[in-house]
Amino acid sequence: MFLVDDLLVKPFLSLLDILHTMAVDEMYDTDAIQDDIKENRLLYEIGERSEEEYQQRKQELETQLEMAQQIQEQMRGRIEIKQ
Amino acid sequence: MSENLYTYGIIEKEDFELDVEGVAGADRIYTVDYKNFSTVVSDIDTTEPDRTDERVEAHNTVLQHVLEYDGGRTVVPMSFGMAFKSERTLKHVLRGARRALRSTLNNIEGTVELGVKILTPADGAAPQEGIQATVTDRLAELSINETENDLFTDRLIVNKSYLVDRDQRDVFDAAIDEIGAEYDELIINYTGPWPPYNFVDIHIGAEQRGGG
Repeated sequence: MFLVDDLLVKPFLSLLDILHTMAVDEMYDTDAIQDDIKENRLLYEIGERSEEEYQQRKQELETQLEMAQQIQEQMRGRIEIKQ
Repeated sequence: MSENLYTYGIIEKEDFELDVEGVAGADRIYTVDYKNFSTVVSDIDTTEPDRTDERVEAHNTVLQHVLEYDGGRTVVPMSFGMAFKSERTLKHVLRGARRALRSTLNNIEGTVELGVKILTPADGAAPQEGIQATVTDRLAELSINETENDLFTDRLIVNKSYLVDRDQRDVFDAAIDEIGAEYDELIINYTGPWPPYNFVDIHIGAEQRGGG
């Protein structure tokens, strides 16, 4: 019974792990956030985003970038410790 | 009083002052000479200014004024944020870079950089096939050199910088207008003139700024 439980749960755990890793990678992908910052600026310059929308989005993205950089830094630190 | 100097760019030796607001509210833009070069500078209270939209805009505005000063000047631009502890420190760095500066100033003499971004409309309509090649071939003919920049959003179909002879600027402007009229479904973001940021290759490291 224990074995069956284990087999049933394990694939889901692996899938969850993969999805989690993908979500974390995407959330902390500093290049992608930098691209979003550039896109926000461009949309403002061509008049598709108001000054208010631009400033608000810019602030969100800068906070996101700062957080992503800190996480990346921590992840690098963790890998170094393991080595 | 602080002796820090915020730098905008380097030109052939010439003394002048500009009546334009600089980075961090500086009200005096002037030049500091070293051998055959002059550096366009303003005073600042730090060697590590924070990057804000307003400051980047002030940096670019000063450079555009220099580019268009008295019929036009050739400028080797500094990136945003380059500030030095003193005139002595700045000259020390220029001494190290003088050969590269000379060669760069010669290479970009009489030129400006123009930026062209072309986007598809917000409604997601696909661009006509082959439009990128048609447009960029046309602009390439009018320029001395070009660089391909990052397509940082799916809507960008062209993101290029062109090195253009100052005398060809009007012709390039007219070509952009024609392209805009011909493909009116596309959005063109045309910027400049800029100093040739994408066509110079001089790196002055941050570690050199505080040393002497």
